[in-house]
Amino acid sequence: MSALVQADAERIAAAIGAGAKVSQARGEVTLDLPRERIADACAAARGAGYDFLCDLAATDYLGFASEGVAGYWGSPSTMDGERDLNHPGSTGLGAVVAPPGDKRFAVSYQLLDRTSRPARRLRLRVWADDGEAVQSIVGVFPCADYQEREAWDLMGIPFDGHPALERIFLPEGWDGHPHRKDYPIGGEPVQFSDAV
Amino acid sequence: MASTLPEQRAGRHVPAEVLSPIPSVLIPPADDPDTMLLNLGPNHPSTHGVLRLVATLNGETVVGLHNELGYVHTGIEKNMEQKSYWKAITYAPRADYNSFFSNELVYCMAVEKLLELEVPRRAEWIRALFNELQRLHNHLIFLGTGSIDLGGIALLFYCFRERDRVLDLFELAGGVRMHARYAQVGGVAEDVPAAFDREARAVVKELRKRVDEYEDLIGQQPIFRDRTKGIGIITPDFARQMGLTGPNARASGVDWDLRAHAPYGAYREINVQPIVLQNGDVYDRYMIRVFEMRQSLDIIEQLLDGLPSGPWIADDRKVVLPPRHELHTSMESLIHHFKLVTEGYRVPAGEAYAYVEGPRGELGCNLVSDGSAKPWRVHFRSASLVMLQSVAALCNGVLIADLIAILASLDPNMGDCDR
Amino acid sequence: MEVIPPGRPNSALRATDIERVVMTTTVDKVLNWAASNSLWPFGFGLACCAMEMIAMLTPRYDVGRFGSEIIRATPRQSDLLIVSGRVSHRMAAPIRELYEQMLEPKWVMAMGACSSTGGMFANYAILQGVDKIVPVDIYVPGCPPRPEAVIEGVMNIQKKIQAGIPPAYEQQRSQA
Repeated sequence: MSALVQADAERIAAAIGAGAKVSQARGEVTLDLPRERIADACAAARGAGYDFLCDLAATDYLGFASEGVAGYWGSPSTMDGERDLNHPGSTGLGAVVAPPGDKRFAVSYQLLDRTSRPARRLRLRVWADDGEAVQSIVGVFPCADYQEREAWDLMGIPFDGHPALERIFLPEGWDGHPHRKDYPIGGEPVQFSDAV
Repeated sequence: MASTLPEQRAGRHVPAEVLSPIPSVLIPPADDPDTMLLNLGPNHPSTHGVLRLVATLNGETVVGLHNELGYVHTGIEKNMEQKSYWKAITYAPRADYNSFFSNELVYCMAVEKLLELEVPRRAEWIRALFNELQRLHNHLIFLGTGSIDLGGIALLFYCFRERDRVLDLFELAGGVRMHARYAQVGGVAEDVPAAFDREARAVVKELRKRVDEYEDLIGQQPIFRDRTKGIGIITPDFARQMGLTGPNARASGVDWDLRAHAPYGAYREINVQPIVLQNGDVYDRYMIRVFEMRQSLDIIEQLLDGLPSGPWIADDRKVVLPPRHELHTSMESLIHHFKLVTEGYRVPAGEAYAYVEGPRGELGCNLVSDGSAKPWRVHFRSASLVMLQSVAALCNGVLIADLIAILASLDPNMGDCDR
Repeated sequence: MEVIPPGRPNSALRATDIERVVMTTTVDKVLNWAASNSLWPFGFGLACCAMEMIAMLTPRYDVGRFGSEIIRATPRQSDLLIVSGRVSHRMAAPIRELYEQMLEPKWVMAMGACSSTGGMFANYAILQGVDKIVPVDIYVPGCPPRPEAVIEGVMNIQKKIQAGIPPAYEQQRSQA
């Protein structure tokens, strides 16, 4: 099934041209795109049968894999390569992980083709730095309205072409974008409780 | 019924169209002296939580509408990033609090996808069973509160009485009524007790009678039919464009059910026939949930009949805690237990999207991991956030009483929406 | 002690027996008894705790037995504000407004961990305890508390009222 999705993704990548890259992991196909072409890619995907937008998720990759290396290693069936027992701060994981893209923010779009059996899912992903705007897809998928507003409110990613980009969850005068990694978790200091 | 002017009733029985330029806002006519601004919420008796609707009315007709969300924005997703994968499961059910098990389940499924961890068969069947119990729980609350929204208080008491019976089963297996944190990465936290089969069958038998009663109680009630038939019509195209899934879409003729068409877990082995209704109005959205309750009872019996024996959680000691009795005999188990509890297991880096057919529609979890023991980013695909965009389009030109009925029929949950 | 036999009503009117058939009390005690046994909750549900609060009203747990029969949708007619759920900063202003609209005497129950102290959500979004904006009479722990626990909370408020303890806002006023 993912071979068929891969073929669809490569067709869309060909339609987009430069900057489009297809990858596959764990049965999921991801198509990385330039941020100004996402609406065209969504229109192309809709033409290819992926006419339903499931999810729009924004991620902040600031400080990815640099902290929190402590932890019991994951299931050995997922590790390829040998365990490097001498790696500092490691409980066995050999490689240090690099973020999958070169910019700070990623927005993942989950598209669904419901008419094929089995149904096919494709992820489109764009990358943006702080302040760079992503093209809005509200014209292609109207249900992206609130979801783009959520990404703007909580992550601070502006969407070019959104008809009414304003905060959705936080009050109007709120300062900052809480889901960013450099925004503190907040709360009150509690005595004797330094671990979160 | 005939007291409203014909032009005021214009929007009532017309299928909804996607609004433009802003899909989620019904823009009122500018400088019309006959209009009035009415604010519903964030505290109002229709207990969908803290939703605020800002409506512009001309007499009793809605001519402008937009939503104000965020009154229960909790920062669940950010809190989950601070905890290890195991401890973060506790935050998940508080998002959509009417389908708490489905939230836990979808998060655990996303983690298992990244770990490529195989869940044993018995655990999958138990999870599916509780997913269906969750659907029952949610639809009972929907029916109870939906009925009180329309003014019929009786169903509230009946449905909550049944809901308590369903929660008895959750308490039997998970120890607590709500937010039992029963789903665990690799399976379920504990096996169902020996009495569960007997108790569950008793609950199913009792609920079958009740669901038939409810279908008669509301389905044949003339006031209910008048208030809901032909109101708030969703077409399949509207559902597709506005991202509606679950009962809201299936009541409009969209034949799409994740349990049947993209099955996961135990649904791969059992046969679920999606229930599809054709009219797409408020009446259909109420009745489809009644039918789905019946279907859930059938599925629960099917799952109880075929429940396989075996482990209820995966055997991988690097992820799953070993059974307590092994801690006395095996040194490795002791070390595994210590490491898992203090540090937590590491999940390989990557991004995964897991989905379940929640009671509200597709409930998804987009999980990004950086290879450490804490999730890097957890994002829940919220059916409620997406469906609330449709309220403005559905309420274009309807009466204010219809607005309440339409909102109730969509079944949003503000915890799911705001997270 | 002389027992008044049944069927002899005339005996009850003798002056020396008057203490057995007449109860003396204070006005405050009567008012407190009446108030404690007719605490009408305000229909105010925020999040998960609201589901257990509604369960408290329904047949199995039935808080109506304790006098909380009517849930009023308007704060003007309610006595007991049950803050059931997590309070976000955006919701704080409406809660305060609703509390101001309630008529005195009024009581507040912080139901659940989130409204008591912020619960598990020690973060930017949630008010760490509703007692930062309204004076609270009783805190009911739990996440969510069982309906029986909430009923116990109501019973404790009843005991407080009957004991003559003034509501929390009066205590705060006297301290201020």
